[in-house]
Amino acid sequence: MISMRNVGKRYVPDKPPALVDVNVEIEQGEFVFLVGHSGSGKSTFIKLMLREILPTTGSINVAGQDLIKMRNWKIPYLRRNIGCVFQDFKLLPNKTTYENVAFALEVIGRSKHVIRTQVPEVLRLVGLEDKIESYPDELSGGEQQRVSIARAFVNRPPLLLADEPTGNLDPATSLGIMSLLSRINKTGTTVLIATHDREMVDSMRKRVIALEGGRIIRDQSRGVYGYGD
Amino acid sequence: MGINAGYFIRESFVSFRRNWVMSLGAVITIYLSLLLVGASVGSSVVVNNIVESVEDKVSIRIYLKDGAATEDVDALQAALLADDRIKEVSYTTKDEALEEFKATMEDSPEIVDQLEVNPLPASLDVNLNDPQDVMDVVESIKANETFPNVADKPEEPEKSLKYGQQIVNQLFAFTRILRTIGVAFIAMLASISLIFINNSIRLAIYARRKEIGIMRLVGASNWFIRTPFLMEGVLQSLIGAVLALGTLGVVTVYVMPIVREQLPFLPFSISSTAAIQISLILVVSGMIIGAVGSAFALRRYLKV
Repeated sequence: MISMRNVGKRYVPDKPPALVDVNVEIEQGEFVFLVGHSGSGKSTFIKLMLREILPTTGSINVAGQDLIKMRNWKIPYLRRNIGCVFQDFKLLPNKTTYENVAFALEVIGRSKHVIRTQVPEVLRLVGLEDKIESYPDELSGGEQQRVSIARAFVNRPPLLLADEPTGNLDPATSLGIMSLLSRINKTGTTVLIATHDREMVDSMRKRVIALEGGRIIRDQSRGVYGYGD
Repeated sequence: MGINAGYFIRESFVSFRRNWVMSLGAVITIYLSLLLVGASVGSSVVVNNIVESVEDKVSIRIYLKDGAATEDVDALQAALLADDRIKEVSYTTKDEALEEFKATMEDSPEIVDQLEVNPLPASLDVNLNDPQDVMDVVESIKANETFPNVADKPEEPEKSLKYGQQIVNQLFAFTRILRTIGVAFIAMLASISLIFINNSIRLAIYARRKEIGIMRLVGASNWFIRTPFLMEGVLQSLIGAVLALGTLGVVTVYVMPIVREQLPFLPFSISSTAAIQISLILVVSGMIIGAVGSAFALRRYLKV
């Protein structure tokens, strides 16, 4: 699903690079945590996978496509295969729950029929069938994150990226979000979560890739957040 | 694409409503610019009409000496008519010349009364197809072999010929300047409109940057993101063009007759073909300005 070979990224010459010699293989259906401090290269990692930026060196393959050789106009089609969830939810405040999720299908040209069947279905999956007509400011943080997960997943992408999905949420709510992501993973979707939520990582016992100073310092299946730090 | 057309039209109207102050600014700029463009194109049409009417009056008059042989005059006339630069040649007798003179001196008949004999020569009046040929035709008349036989003053050919070269030259210089100024003016107005459309689309993009970010995230194609903005720019300038057209229409219908009344000696008029051409110019150039202006803004402010 994701393959990185000798990937390095340097934003500014003469400054320390954001990523150095990263080699990662993530298989279809895996559930992976990407952990590390701020500035360890997590965000760069996510941006590279979305082809928001190109690496300075190395090769990246996501969902069967070579991102280095990819033409610019093809990027939108890559992103249709990647669901994205962020710390700040990125919901449109003037649209209801339903409209926010439907928007994701609308702008990639799905038919009204598809929208009418898929949106309620995914809202049921995330447990928001009662909040269909609510606006984001009427929802709690956890509910907003569920809307954003629904939007990321409504198109049934093979890969779901989450950048600090529980960063703004309390522990109980975070647990709910994690179990939702785990449920999505059980449908066969590859899930990659960048986080520094230590308790969460330790309690889930999934594969952990740890970054520090742009290097992978640890990659273990059924791992924990780390020691001491 | 069936579902998309509706989406784009809805989106561009929604955005127009949302940023109506800026959109209004763009519409007014386009409106005033195109109004001035239309006015300068229209007035150049009017000026051209005037110039042409003056040009028509440019003719070459060949004064003939009294008692010139009729066959010589006929031969000269035939030779001139054979020249394809010449439209027509008419003969004015001494008596007709006197009548003409009397008509122009209507206000002071005593001058005419003082004449004991008719001092005016008969003449051949040469009308040209293209007034610009006047000098060439004058030269070829001078070179004509029967010309010295019939000319009023054969030893001084210049004095036997009268033509309005000076006036025409000045007129042409004048219209050339007018046209240059008009083109510079139109270029300036077009760039002002471009800048304004560019700005209004930039604001529209800014107002919707969150939405655009999400569209990019979920994989909306680039043209799908761009098209509503492009259509918004075209819509703005189309409205401006239609307003300008309406204003010009009102001016032609209500103001032109008044000007005509005030300046009856100048042919103020715009033919319907010219009016249609001007309308087309306004609408098409308006749409081009809108499309180019917003495309420019999209390139600069919308990284997709």
